[in-house]
Amino acid sequence: MNLTIKNLRVTYVSNEHRLLALDRVNLELTPGKVIALVGESGSGKTTLGKAVMGLLPDYARVKGSVSLESLELLSLPAPEMNKLRWSRISMLFQNGAESLNPVYRILDQVAEPLIQKQGFSRKDAGLQAQKALEQTGLDPGLGSRFPHEVSGGEMQRCLLAMALIMSPEIIILDEPTASLDAMNKTLIRQVILGAKNKGQAVLVITHDLDLARDTADEAVVLYLGQVMEVLPAVELFLAPRHPYTLALARSYPALDTHRDLGGIRGDAFYRTVHRHREENGNIRFHSHLIGPDQEHEHCHATPGGCLFVDRCTQALPECREKEIAIQETDGYELRCLRGGIATLLRLKSISKSYAGKTALHPVDLELKAGEIFCLVGESGSGKTTLAMIGAALLKQDSGSRIYSNRNMDQWIRQDYLSLAGKIGLVHQHPAQAVSHRFSVFEIISEPLKIQGYYSRQEILEKVLSALKDVHLSTEPEFLSRYPHELNMGALQRICIARALVTGPSLLIADEPTSSLDPSVQAKVLKMILDLQIEKGLTMLFVTHDIGLARKIGDRMGVMLAGRMVESGPAAQILNKSAHPYTRLLINGSGSQVHDGPVSLKAGRDRGCPFVSRCGWKRDLCVNDNPETRQTSQGDHFVRCHFPLN
Amino acid sequence: MHLNAAKRLARDPWFIAGAGISGLIILFLASSPLLVVHDPHDMDFIPFSPPSAEHWLGVNDGGMDIFSELMAGMKNTLHFGLLTGLVCLIIGACAGLFSAWFRGIPDLIIMRLSDVFLAVPAVMVLILVAAFFRPSPFYLALVLAALSWPTIAKVIRAQTLVVKAGMHIHSSRQMGASGLYVIRRHLMPELYPLYLIGFVSKARMAMFMEVSLSFLGLLDPGRKSLGMMINYALRYYYLDIWWSWLLPPVICLTLLIMGVTFLALSLEKIFDPRLKEIM
Repeated sequence: MNLTIKNLRVTYVSNEHRLLALDRVNLELTPGKVIALVGESGSGKTTLGKAVMGLLPDYARVKGSVSLESLELLSLPAPEMNKLRWSRISMLFQNGAESLNPVYRILDQVAEPLIQKQGFSRKDAGLQAQKALEQTGLDPGLGSRFPHEVSGGEMQRCLLAMALIMSPEIIILDEPTASLDAMNKTLIRQVILGAKNKGQAVLVITHDLDLARDTADEAVVLYLGQVMEVLPAVELFLAPRHPYTLALARSYPALDTHRDLGGIRGDAFYRTVHRHREENGNIRFHSHLIGPDQEHEHCHATPGGCLFVDRCTQALPECREKEIAIQETDGYELRCLRGGIATLLRLKSISKSYAGKTALHPVDLELKAGEIFCLVGESGSGKTTLAMIGAALLKQDSGSRIYSNRNMDQWIRQDYLSLAGKIGLVHQHPAQAVSHRFSVFEIISEPLKIQGYYSRQEILEKVLSALKDVHLSTEPEFLSRYPHELNMGALQRICIARALVTGPSLLIADEPTSSLDPSVQAKVLKMILDLQIEKGLTMLFVTHDIGLARKIGDRMGVMLAGRMVESGPAAQILNKSAHPYTRLLINGSGSQVHDGPVSLKAGRDRGCPFVSRCGWKRDLCVNDNPETRQTSQGDHFVRCHFPLN
Repeated sequence: MHLNAAKRLARDPWFIAGAGISGLIILFLASSPLLVVHDPHDMDFIPFSPPSAEHWLGVNDGGMDIFSELMAGMKNTLHFGLLTGLVCLIIGACAGLFSAWFRGIPDLIIMRLSDVFLAVPAVMVLILVAAFFRPSPFYLALVLAALSWPTIAKVIRAQTLVVKAGMHIHSSRQMGASGLYVIRRHLMPELYPLYLIGFVSKARMAMFMEVSLSFLGLLDPGRKSLGMMINYALRYYYLDIWWSWLLPPVICLTLLIMGVTFLALSLEKIFDPRLKEIM
């Protein structure tokens, strides 16, 4: 039986305004399929569940339709609806412990629906309930206890048993794993998958992305009552397409992600519609987004624009104004004016040689808006050259560069200054990257002066705010200091401030922390991550240290002898590295890999550049240079004849 | 490094000595309108008069006041040196910056040209020019400058290449800075010590050259000069008068050259990192 939700719109009405909890949501639950509804709290997930169950409070106004096959649930009279509950649609409530009656034994409560709805005898129902409890992995004697005598995890499983006991066609689970430990989570996961195999339709409402990925077929991402993206759940971490999904994934402490946790900038708001009576007597509705601490101070949402715009890392001015409908493309649904996460910088078949020595064989690189891409590899692998070509500091011999959909080479010729303001560059050695004759103020204000269209006052303000961004003093005394009076960490922060002062959307950092000691490096990295979240920066981070890349990279590219030998999501590369060289970088010198120099001789061009050090080499590797191929795991590319895994 | 350069200079004995001597000479020359009462070209006095209140250093064989001659000669020598140094510096700095900035063919041409000039001995050319064309000292200074700019050009070019490869220049270019901006804000200030060294050493060379040429009598005999004074005084060394006629120009010349040499030495020592360990 299919449950179809169409154009569901739920508004909570109070005297002053209406809170729009769900806005034209479409969803279909089919037998044998698990759908995960994910989003921050306040996004309307629970409201959706309650709306299906017909359990919304009086002050909720519901529009649209929720139908079970041909049966329209929203207009169903209460007694009819009551019959459906538990028998055909059941729901596990969040903090369900409160919904158990403390004076009855658990077994009785679990058995209750059977007695009530299907007229089972007390004994039969008890046996049935006992079985259901055991199925969820609970101790057989648990049923005779009272609710206050069991732990939270056991309670949650009791409730799950209760929701499943009548084998309903539709099961809605609201945060089934919230506040559970890993063992209990695994059990719940198994129960969900079991229900799926029995042909039940399951809607998992959760902020636990791991659970969503492991159990669901499809994930629906909800933000402020709007569906932002529908995607295969396995791609939640690997290939999210909406900036909001990416930000959610980045905030989630998944086990196989090594990157430090990010967040989402700004706050989640409530979306309210406000009624104004205009002078001519018309009533006009008016949208607001209200933050948690701004109860009376409304910030007006532009009608129709994207709701995520203020927190988005790639918002354009149009995003604020144009209404964006959800669009469907090959299995995805996406609500984004820019068609999902945009590509900020695209380098295509870039090659470069210095005086006859090839530094880069044709290399491709794509930077998506809002991500940190780490370029790792040993020195001489061409990573700095590639980064500098991306920064427009070097010119490639062949290939093309595209920066936010504009040909970079053309842009450089026509109006380099405007491009320069959009790309910030941080060098490896801060002491060399600044003129020792410049004071702190002069260093940071240099790009602004070069750009030329700022007044003195503006320059001072921008310099001060850039200093604040990098957590440095804004005292006049500090502004007039000279580089040799500062330590390396402060100097590198100044370089970062200089790179950021023109408000670029791309920051290219070439080993920015390798000349810093570990404690200072940790601080600078933390600051870089904060900046990425707060400013929505896209970053190309060049480093030889894969351990460091692991801490900050969303995606990663491994370079060797002027070629990109492996690229993909950082978690993929670190956990399931496919290229032997990546293994070598991760393990130091592993048992299967021989450590030796890379040969850059011209003759080597025929074979794989890693062949002399590779423990897995075969005859083919010696004579034939492998092409880039995609692994089975989505956005993961490797240049190897015999990829590992 | 640039900030404590001034402090280091102030503590360097060579600099103190050089600056002291040069300062004294300049003070001395500046006060000449008060001290010099006679026209140095006036031949109205009794030849070979010994020093007196009227004539502090006596009168020479032509009846001219030696003190007035000395002052005029020193002024001429100093002017010649400063002019040559300045012109040399301008040509050298421009050529050096130009070839280092553009590299390629302009660099090749300028550097080969400077090699040619380096190979030609300036003294010989100057003697020939002075003897045949009898130019005014002003033009002679220009000729000398035109011959001796290559060393400055080479030093400036080398330093420009070093600075140009620096990361802060790259950063600045990446930020969209124009070539002129980079030269003005980043290159010129870095080369500043080289200008000083080049200027001082060329001025010293030119002063010595001027004295030599006038000693050889290749310059206009009517123009007062330390070299010419020494030449004339030497003819009467058997007279008692030599200590008031020959000695003062020799001492003045020595002091002048010494002062400037000390300055050049200490500037090089402070600003040229290659010399740091040696000196």
